[in-house]
Amino acid sequence: MRKKTKKKAGSRTKSRVEKPEVKIIKPKKSAKKSSIKPRVQSRAPRKSAKKKAVPAKKAKADGAITLSHITKIEGHASLVLNIQNNKVKKCELAVIEGSRYFEGMLKDRRYDEASEITSRICGICSCAHTVCAITAIENALNVRVSKQTEELRKLLMMGERIRSHATHLYFLALPDFLGYESAMQMLPKFKKQVHDALKLMKAGNEIVKLVGGRDIHPVAATVGGFHVVPTSDEIYRIKTELQIAKKTAVATAELFAKLKYPDFSPEATTYLSLHNPFEYPILHGAIKTPEKLFKKTEFHKFIKEYHEPRSSANFAVKEGKAYFTGALARVNNNSAALSQTARKLLKHSKFKFPSRNPFLNNYCQAIELVHCIDHSIAICQDLARIKPEPLAAVSVRESYGIAAVEVPRGVLWHEYKLNSVGTIVKANIVTPTSQNLRKIEDDIKAFLPELLASTKDRDTIVLEIEKLIRAYDPCFSCSTHFLDVKWG
Amino acid sequence: MARKKLRIGFYGVTGCAGCQLSVIFNEREILRLFNLIDVSAFPFIKEKNIEGEFDYVFIEGLAACNDDVAVLKELRQKAKKVVALGACACAGNIPAYRKYVSRKNYQHLIHEKTKRIQDVDPTPIDSHIAVDYFIPGCPPDKSEILKFIKEIVLGKEPRQHESPVCFECKINKNPCLLDEGKMCLGPVTRGGCNSVCTNSGFECWGCRGIMQDADIKLMIKVLKGKGFSGREIKQRMRSFTGLKIPQLQFIGVKK
Repeated sequence: MRKKTKKKAGSRTKSRVEKPEVKIIKPKKSAKKSSIKPRVQSRAPRKSAKKKAVPAKKAKADGAITLSHITKIEGHASLVLNIQNNKVKKCELAVIEGSRYFEGMLKDRRYDEASEITSRICGICSCAHTVCAITAIENALNVRVSKQTEELRKLLMMGERIRSHATHLYFLALPDFLGYESAMQMLPKFKKQVHDALKLMKAGNEIVKLVGGRDIHPVAATVGGFHVVPTSDEIYRIKTELQIAKKTAVATAELFAKLKYPDFSPEATTYLSLHNPFEYPILHGAIKTPEKLFKKTEFHKFIKEYHEPRSSANFAVKEGKAYFTGALARVNNNSAALSQTARKLLKHSKFKFPSRNPFLNNYCQAIELVHCIDHSIAICQDLARIKPEPLAAVSVRESYGIAAVEVPRGVLWHEYKLNSVGTIVKANIVTPTSQNLRKIEDDIKAFLPELLASTKDRDTIVLEIEKLIRAYDPCFSCSTHFLDVKWG
Repeated sequence: MARKKLRIGFYGVTGCAGCQLSVIFNEREILRLFNLIDVSAFPFIKEKNIEGEFDYVFIEGLAACNDDVAVLKELRQKAKKVVALGACACAGNIPAYRKYVSRKNYQHLIHEKTKRIQDVDPTPIDSHIAVDYFIPGCPPDKSEILKFIKEIVLGKEPRQHESPVCFECKINKNPCLLDEGKMCLGPVTRGGCNSVCTNSGFECWGCRGIMQDADIKLMIKVLKGKGFSGREIKQRMRSFTGLKIPQLQFIGVKK
């Protein structure tokens, strides 16, 4: 069933120009032209685009700006903007990945195959999907796992968050702030930073590889526990490596505290994250927003999804409003639960939390890096006497289960309905990026007038908007497995 | 000996970006690797992706929408050699498993889309363009990608691994998962992954594709003997590389 919410003003144009070139088109004409002949992709390099490019000096911002393929993000997305007389007429963000219909493919599969299949939704958050699927199935079948399994899962998630944040911060976000096109181009002048990035990525990868059995798409975790667990020597080795990496993480937090973020605070922002009184949330907790705390099972009461023809991913809203999920939401809602070093860094920074500035999501990720390393070291200490364990007993029955876990980009939801022999009959997955999508769009709309007041240079406008989009660390592969399930 | 560096592009169509990440996750070697080659396009981590001719283009992902097909065709024209990176590009992976799923399972997920992102049959990239090399695996081992690039830089002809997963699994001294009653496809699956899954006690799902001379019939017979139903076996075999196992059409239960 399709739900339509607010209709966006303006007709849908679909013209393309490869970034960073900016093409000015008379809006009406382009709309007509592209509706007749839909133009495709410019992910691939295009010679012709260059010729048509308008010189960057052009001082007027009026016209259409199309970023046909936004670079340095995970997956493929496009943005169509239309500015007239310094007013934003149109702003449409669309995900242009092909739909993969993962939920449809989960049907008729056995309950323990869900983790392996869903991990393929995303490379960078494969552990998240694996653990979330397992947790949801265990929730359905009422499986109780040992403390050691819980700790190992947390360690796996921490490892993934470390490498994901490190990749995003240094490879995707930082070059914008330092004025480079890519991390490779930064090398001559910022050699230390690039090496720091690789060190942190390595630390995260080592954890994932050790606990999950493979760098990407982990295989060791399953319903009821782990097929194979690391030895105590291996855990000790990881702990030592993490202790060395901590310095690098602190340097990262200091570096990102020094960057100049645009001063932008969109009104009335809802932050959604997990919250539990015992620790900085990973696997457990209720859902916290500034207004209320609600249970995971109340998901359908509060969160609705809808789609639009221009985007293969759908948009999620909480009670009709956009909301933010991710590192900034976690820090806003749970800053007291951060590790000591992370709290200290946060306290001495020039930023005040809770904050509404989405650009600070970058800084919050850097703070989380420090926290994740501290937390991982603590888990390693708990796991000093790790030993192989049998998987917890599972008995299948007709059931329903839901799980929400904190993953690098926010809260990930998985829910499953199983039949009496343990076959999946219904599956639903809501990823952080589809929850953030609407908020990103709203933020661009709110940010543009401020931006237009300060500059008319189209290149600067495009760069600032890209910075804003990247600050959310969107993962468009994740968001386009496509979903819209009605639960009876 | 100053040879001209190879111009290489890394692109992704519909996929999970895991294979592109596998390239970057060669933390130790990546900087030196990027010295050896001219990475002229890598939109995942680069803003400026230089247009023009490529010596090699690595493509991750499968064709799932109109946009993907157009990108593939454009890249083929620009590249001297095309390399299919990962199981999606080589065989369609899990997204292509949709072909074996009844439409009513995902009918409710389909919505109206603009032409650019309209669905096409989920197909590996060689259904649309000619592909010169395949690097299988979901994801390919990161050292395998490194090895491939080293070989093309040296001017060697890269070759596929020619022994099954079982071979490496035995070298790694793992207990046989088939004996443990798991549906392991190791005996028929192309190796080269250092049996990474079975090392962790997880049965092989065959993400690297079937060996050329694999006896699928016998494999199915063995698995049936372990108590698995024909339907389960087919589901599993088709999960990753179903489109590249034509033999399955003729064996056992129907679709």
